[in-house]
Amino acid sequence: MGWLRRLFFRERLEADLDKELRFHFESQVADKVRSGIPESEARRLTRIEFGGIEQIKEDCRERRGTMGLESLLQDVRYALRQLRKSPGFTLTAVLTLALGIGATTAIFTLVQQVMLQSLPVNRPDQLWRIGDQPHCCDWAGYSQDSDGEAGNWSLFSWEAYKLFRANTPGLQALAALQAGNMPLGVRPSGSSGPPDKANGQYVSGNFFQTLGVSAWRGRLFVDADDLEGAPPVAVMSFHAWQEKYGSDPSVVGSAYQINGRAFTIIGVAPAGFVGAKMTSWGLPDIWMPLATEPLMLGKTARIKNTRTDWLDLIGRLRPGTNPKALQVHLQGELQGWLASHLADMSPQEEAVWQKQTLRLSPGGAGFSILRRDYSESLLLLMFTACCVLLVACANIANLLLARGLKNQRQTAVRVALGASRRRLVRNALLESVTLSLIGGAAGVAVAWAGARLILYLAFHMLERSTWIPVQATPSTLVLLFALGVAVLTGVIFGIAPAWMTSHAEPVEAMRGANREVGGGRHWAQKALVIAQAAVSLVLLSAAAMLGGSLQNLEHQNFGFDPDGRYLASIGSPMLANYKQEQLVPLYRQIQDRLSALPRVRNVSAATYAPMAGNQWGHDIRVQGKPEPGPKDDVSADWTRITPGFFDTIGARMLAGRAINEDDNANARHVAVINQAFARKFFENQNPVGRHFGPASVGNAGTYEIVGVVQNIHYVTWGFRDPARAMYYIPQAQTVQFDQPDLQSDELWSQNLYNIVIWAPEHPANMLMQVKKVLSEVDPNLVMYDVQSYSRVIQGTFDQQNMIASLTWLFGAVGLVLAAVGLYGVTAYGVEQRRSEIGVRMALGADRGSVVAMVLREAFWQVSIGLGIGIPAASGTGYLMTSQLFGVTPWNPLLLAGTAVLLGSAALVTAVIPARKAASTDPMQALRSE
Amino acid sequence: MKKTDDRFDLPQGTLDLLIMRVVAFGPIHGYAIAQRIQQISRDALQVQQGSLYPALHRLEYKKLLSSRWKPSETGREAKFYELTSKGRTHLTVETENWTRLTDLVSLILEGTLEGI
Repeated sequence: MGWLRRLFFRERLEADLDKELRFHFESQVADKVRSGIPESEARRLTRIEFGGIEQIKEDCRERRGTMGLESLLQDVRYALRQLRKSPGFTLTAVLTLALGIGATTAIFTLVQQVMLQSLPVNRPDQLWRIGDQPHCCDWAGYSQDSDGEAGNWSLFSWEAYKLFRANTPGLQALAALQAGNMPLGVRPSGSSGPPDKANGQYVSGNFFQTLGVSAWRGRLFVDADDLEGAPPVAVMSFHAWQEKYGSDPSVVGSAYQINGRAFTIIGVAPAGFVGAKMTSWGLPDIWMPLATEPLMLGKTARIKNTRTDWLDLIGRLRPGTNPKALQVHLQGELQGWLASHLADMSPQEEAVWQKQTLRLSPGGAGFSILRRDYSESLLLLMFTACCVLLVACANIANLLLARGLKNQRQTAVRVALGASRRRLVRNALLESVTLSLIGGAAGVAVAWAGARLILYLAFHMLERSTWIPVQATPSTLVLLFALGVAVLTGVIFGIAPAWMTSHAEPVEAMRGANREVGGGRHWAQKALVIAQAAVSLVLLSAAAMLGGSLQNLEHQNFGFDPDGRYLASIGSPMLANYKQEQLVPLYRQIQDRLSALPRVRNVSAATYAPMAGNQWGHDIRVQGKPEPGPKDDVSADWTRITPGFFDTIGARMLAGRAINEDDNANARHVAVINQAFARKFFENQNPVGRHFGPASVGNAGTYEIVGVVQNIHYVTWGFRDPARAMYYIPQAQTVQFDQPDLQSDELWSQNLYNIVIWAPEHPANMLMQVKKVLSEVDPNLVMYDVQSYSRVIQGTFDQQNMIASLTWLFGAVGLVLAAVGLYGVTAYGVEQRRSEIGVRMALGADRGSVVAMVLREAFWQVSIGLGIGIPAASGTGYLMTSQLFGVTPWNPLLLAGTAVLLGSAALVTAVIPARKAASTDPMQALRSE
Repeated sequence: MKKTDDRFDLPQGTLDLLIMRVVAFGPIHGYAIAQRIQQISRDALQVQQGSLYPALHRLEYKKLLSSRWKPSETGREAKFYELTSKGRTHLTVETENWTRLTDLVSLILEGTLEGI
């Protein structure tokens, strides 16, 4: 290879080139001497005729074709040498870049894993999901209308799944998985210790085969495991096997008690496989076949209930199948299935069943709840990180410009000696790219630490033990991203200095000697400072808006008083083998034992407590009201409570009475409603004494309303929405419903998952004591957590907290960088104008006016920056409206505040060079002229 | 530097052709190429070193010329250029092209107005 040889024998080639030209030169001289010119004159003449030998050489090198690579190496070496020569500059630049690139890469690490990654399965591109809505976890009825949109099905009943699986030739395989999760208590058979809590998920027998996943150990499910009467088996996730069982190989094949039922663990799923659903609230530790659901849940099982949609479906397309055609086919099947249940439908469902439809969506990434929950926030963070990077770029561009000015004469000499402008520009760019590559390498380390910090902030700050499969370790894609960002930033911040270099006029520089030249650079530097000020303002105001929003969220009125309240979460006693009739005494005992603790004022339990992450709802009918139309919203949330609940949580009764000890199994069925319920169903009438019940109309007389309580915010979302209608029924009363789904809920709701404890004096060891009492009552009860209620509320806003904290962090970094930039430019300007200032002072300007002059200039730049930044900041506010709560994007007070903050930072940084300018000794400044 | 009127700049690409033509007579070094061109053109064409050497290196890179170091007439080692077979073909083709082009150009330039 000629070019390779040329590259490696560079020195030899250089020598040849030199020899060749010298030969020419000497021959020419010899000719001249021969024609009678004295030798010294001949040499002089020849030299003039020859022109710049170095230029000729450079031209030849360029023609030789290896110029690119060869000189690239040369230039890289040159750039490194330059950087080594100014360690202070290099260190500053590398640190700045490491921060900028690190921040961006850290966010990208998360973006990639949460938003871009496919499931670790075979051919994820062939997987399609039936449905495109992120619904969870159960849906009742034969219509899935939501938000006014005609039924778009995303969750399915077991019967519909079986039908689709049998009748869809376009699919190689169709698997089903539970849309929600199943809390489990697991312990090895024969052991007497308390059960380990675990997260379970029911899946169809072909689940692993459909995804193309094979066992790490043992075997995974086959269809035979998913038959009624098959021996109960379960598969463990790799993560649970590793974390909870220390990768013990004897787990496989062993018998375990899962919620008191005997299961055999037949295998461990491969490392990295966390199921088909990414959530932030817990990934499955244990998979169980769908057919074991009745074994676990008895009468409350959903598998045979055609009205309960609780399965996500994911299928593998047969090669060559058109997804569009498949979608039409499946829509037909859905219609066929609905038609077969016409007799079971309510009048409302009958009116809309023909409008029910479904859509396919790509399933290669699984059912990513994580993606839905976090994508907006991550994009926002990505945006802020990019802003920081921009500010960092501007800073380095500024540094390079200043350095370029210092090196101006050097550049001029190089141009004069025959360096081509192209080469000089390339040199400048190469230097900046080299710099940014070093910065990028350091940035990867920053990114790793940063991603860990973010994960910690997002998921572990509140002692939450939820494990999510997001790692801080950068992947290849992340490293490539960092490389790309580094090169791009290198080019971006290198362009201005390179452009300046290419316009270097050798003559001017030589002539200029000590005088200031190149006003254009000044202009560029100022523009950069202005841009920095503007971007910093955007960052700071975004941080302020998000911080304000978080404040508003945490300190809004939730309708109850979290102060002095504690929330304990336990697993279902029914799953711990309690009989229905044992539940009321169990909770009575828990309540009594906890109340007996010192300084506890009140204890009460509920199916679910406010902000505990649960919500049960269904349609209701009010006695004496006409049957609602299909479009009318008649839904209400409900929960079961024990007496004294409202006192315990600190909510006020508005009318009537609360639920008390007399509301027991022998009394009439009563309910307390909230204000929103009263307004929704009774407008201005007095609701106390009226009757209602869950749909259908036959149940309308079930409950008598005995009181109205203030609205309590229960769900962990929708803080901007109007309060949801809700009713409360006593734990001690059970209704017999004809509809199996209502009956299942009726029984299931008697598992009170949450216990609220009111201890207004904040006793120190409350959490420990509660745990101790609960395990004394029954060591088999699965204990999830005891937290103070303010912690629970704080935990609800983890994500907002993380975003606000990070944006503050980014805002602070941006501010510091911008301040450094302003300082650099001002100080440099002062240095350049030293003699001018000397003249001014000699002519009578006092220190004050010199300081004012320097500050004026700095403030001009910052003011223009603010002028651009303020509209940009409120524009950004509008873009992130969806992230804001109680904060308006156009917020003059907030903008003024951030502007003042930025202004004071600018003042502080500009005062230092201004004072230095004022201390100029006129004599000295003039003498050095 | 004095400038004589009967010297003129070569059109782009012509220099390559001239160099190859001169080299076609046999191995020759750079200085001699410049001299030969000057001689043949009766001093009308003077090839500058700044154009000659980059052109030689380019032609060598394109494998139209090859080179060898050997002693020159004065005894000093010089780099002698030779046409490669690829260069020879190239020269023939380019010479033909050149002749056709100049014929056409002069046909048009010398044509009378009536002819148009």
